[in-house]
Amino acid sequence: MKKDDTRKETIQKLLLRLELWFAPILILVPFFVSFFFLWDWYTRGFSAGSSVYDGELLLGLLTLMGNLMFDIPFLRSIRTLSKKE
Amino acid sequence: MSFSEMTTREAFTLTKQKMVEYQTELLERLNAIEVDAHWFRRVFHTFAASFLFYYLLPDQSWIHIGKIAVPIIIVVVMGVVEYRRLHGDIDHQRFFGLRGYEKRRPASYLYFGVAVLLLFLFFPQQIAVPCILCASFTDPVIGESRYYLGKKKAYLIGFLVSVLFFGLTWYRADWWIIIVISLLGATGAVVGEAKKLRLIDDDFLIQILPAIMVLVLWQGCLLLGIDILPPLMILPLR
Repeated sequence: MKKDDTRKETIQKLLLRLELWFAPILILVPFFVSFFFLWDWYTRGFSAGSSVYDGELLLGLLTLMGNLMFDIPFLRSIRTLSKKE
Repeated sequence: MSFSEMTTREAFTLTKQKMVEYQTELLERLNAIEVDAHWFRRVFHTFAASFLFYYLLPDQSWIHIGKIAVPIIIVVVMGVVEYRRLHGDIDHQRFFGLRGYEKRRPASYLYFGVAVLLLFLFFPQQIAVPCILCASFTDPVIGESRYYLGKKKAYLIGFLVSVLFFGLTWYRADWWIIIVISLLGATGAVVGEAKKLRLIDDDFLIQILPAIMVLVLWQGCLLLGIDILPPLMILPLR
């Protein structure tokens, strides 16, 4: 029984650590992609006076704003959890 | 006081007290994990918008092969992992953020992956992009709104958000096409999200259902000699 509880606790801690490892990827990759879209729109589209790349501007902004909306509460929840731990 | 000096009643009370303390602590920990898993699942959804980077990859021959092979390999690996989990080779607890009902069926991330793979391989970019956006943002928006505003308002908000995604991604089409596609695509996305089936996850349906509906309309119009598909939104790098 004691061994089982210790195992469960270890698994829970491992899960928490795993999640904390995932957090930077989940947050940084969408930001990288959205900034890449914006940069690509700027270099290939805006600077060259072409409107063909305007879609990338839209997608860049959508990805950026959509991720910001959910990243903030996610980071807050991780902070709260770290304090509890 | 040592255990030998206690009466049976005192020992029983002390043990009970310790058990209650332990149970409370464990429950607190589980609650904390549940709250965190909630946001973890939401961010996993929004993260999926990054998959749109796929369309920026150049179309040179060897990269083109990679664009087909790599997503297939990723989904196959996910399938193997899920197979092993369902057969008990991998502990269910090792998967963070899984829902209770996912213990006995493939987890939603596999459905999500399969849907994205199908969109990448079999649907034109103009149809796939808004569908991926719906899975990335409409799903968590509906989830959050449902919690605060109730089911009906949540689906209405989800519908409007999906209309926005289809409208924005088809902005280079004719105005009547934008209206038809936005309404059709958003209806498919919300029905896909709302329909709870035992074997097919909503993460799959929210992408595939609107994609099929728009694809059928596009093919139907093609038969009538009208091509409603707008130009590509994301042009591959050279």
